[in-house]
Amino acid sequence: MDARIISEPSQNKFLVPRKAFTDQAVFEREYAEIFNKCWLYLGHASELPEPGSFLTRKVARRPILFNRDRHGEFHALFNACPHRGAMVCRERHGKSPAFMCMYHGWTFGSDGHLMTLPGAAGYPKDFKTDPQKQMVHVPRLDRIGDFFFLNFSHDGEDLATYLADAGDYLNLVSEHSESGMAVTGGTQEYAIRGNWKLLAENSVDGYHAACTHSTYLEYLKNANGALGATPLEGGGIDLNNGHAVIEYSAPWGRPVASWVPLWGEEGKTEIDGIYGKLQKRLGEKRADRLAHKNRNMIIFPNLVVNDIMAITVRTFFPTAPDYLEVNAWSLAPVEESDWLRKYRLFNFTEFLGPGGFATPDDVEAIEKCQQGYAVGGDAKYNDISKGLAREGEPSFDDEMQMRAFWTEWDRRLSAAED
Amino acid sequence: MNENLILRLTVEDLLIREAHLLDSWQLAEWLTLYTNDAHYYVPPNDVDGDTADPDTSLFYVMDDRKRMEERVVRLGKVGAHSEHPRSKVRHLVTNVQAARENDIVRARASFIVSRAKDITHDLFVGHYLYDLVERDGALKISKKTCVLDMEALRPHARISIIL
Ligand code: FES
Ligand SMILES: [Fe+2]
Repeated sequence: MDARIISEPSQNKFLVPRKAFTDQAVFEREYAEIFNKCWLYLGHASELPEPGSFLTRKVARRPILFNRDRHGEFHALFNACPHRGAMVCRERHGKSPAFMCMYHGWTFGSDGHLMTLPGAAGYPKDFKTDPQKQMVHVPRLDRIGDFFFLNFSHDGEDLATYLADAGDYLNLVSEHSESGMAVTGGTQEYAIRGNWKLLAENSVDGYHAACTHSTYLEYLKNANGALGATPLEGGGIDLNNGHAVIEYSAPWGRPVASWVPLWGEEGKTEIDGIYGKLQKRLGEKRADRLAHKNRNMIIFPNLVVNDIMAITVRTFFPTAPDYLEVNAWSLAPVEESDWLRKYRLFNFTEFLGPGGFATPDDVEAIEKCQQGYAVGGDAKYNDISKGLAREGEPSFDDEMQMRAFWTEWDRRLSAAED
Repeated sequence: MNENLILRLTVEDLLIREAHLLDSWQLAEWLTLYTNDAHYYVPPNDVDGDTADPDTSLFYVMDDRKRMEERVVRLGKVGAHSEHPRSKVRHLVTNVQAARENDIVRARASFIVSRAKDITHDLFVGHYLYDLVERDGALKISKKTCVLDMEALRPHARISIIL
């Protein structure tokens, strides 16, 4: 494959071929080598609150039925009927002990086993228990805390190994709460007319904020009392296996647990209380980090967890080289007060998502990159070298995070060649 | 004329005026149609938009008056890249119903909003829920909820215009 990155750190050189964003063969190979082999985010335990709960969603183009059986066990099934392939469950979410296929009426238990089928007399006696007549489980399903991941490949490293140092950062998100984190309800579901890797880059790109989001930053300055005195500063951390995070302080408030004047004295008492409990539960150091630092993390290949003025969990996958689909959720502590929850959601929508003051401009940047790649010719490469020349730790607005992502991307795609 | 019909025509007049101001990007004037404590909402696609509560559910847009003003300020800047150059916008508003409920007029209408900009042309389809109140002898909007009758914002990606 000629779509290889060029990495020569000693020459301050890191180049990504634009073909990686446009080429149909690269896209097919990404599905074979990345989406069919990596651990992919499926959903959060709080989305299936009780035995019998189910939801359906696409993960990397495949329809999945994610559910709990009557004992509360979690299952991930390919949502296709073993008979002639119709999608079995057609609802987005709900509660059901069984799923009946609308085509010929085969009915499956919540663990996917075939319970009944009309006209059984037309089949041999042991037909119903034939393994091939059952709904198929996704090869591997695993969890870290309440975050569920699936893997479409039967073998390969386990989830904990795969996540490498990103695992502890996911734990840090869970530690926001003593009684559990939950998806707040309401999913932001959108698409972008651009390559999926542009969104992976954008999600951990500290460099673009000042230019792309100038109007948002100006708005923050105007919004009276919305900002504290804390400066925007911090660094990037390579979490291995293609995962990376930027961890930094910022002037905005954090529901857990960093107060800003906008919240008033009453708010201060509440935030102080939350912080005190955090210290007791996690110790000084970890509590301080959890409460006062922001984190934008990419877990290779397509999970973004941003723990900023709210927490967003965002996953996305391509359906073509120039089109991606996104699902984004908001995560919050179960025990959070009504006041703080309201503030969290209000803040989430201010910055994040299709109607926010920032995301639309990220979308614009991504779409314009994709359009720009059409120039082709000698303009073959993107430059991702920012920070290579820096002595010491990478800054949050360097491009180390993207280099970590691209290095893993390149490793996986080129390994398939040899 | 029957009182209900007059009410409906009055509301329709207001909605037509709002559509015109949005289509012609007269956003500062658009704000004058709203009360000082107004709200503008766009719920997401996977909740019941007629009843969803912005205090407990994630929305696409949950603006109070202050944020509506900031939205207008932002959209006036070159740095609002998504709307620079400005997209071509057309609001089609129809099937208006209105009823008085004490001091509030509750209105519903169907909409198709078209947004075209360079390579993209997207249609937003849904219905409006309005709360209207009398201020200084005129009807003003105190709440507008834009419920999208769509499965997802695909391929739209963004609600960078005002629906
Ligand atoms: S395809 Fe499902 S029962 Fe026939
Ligand atoms: Fe951004």
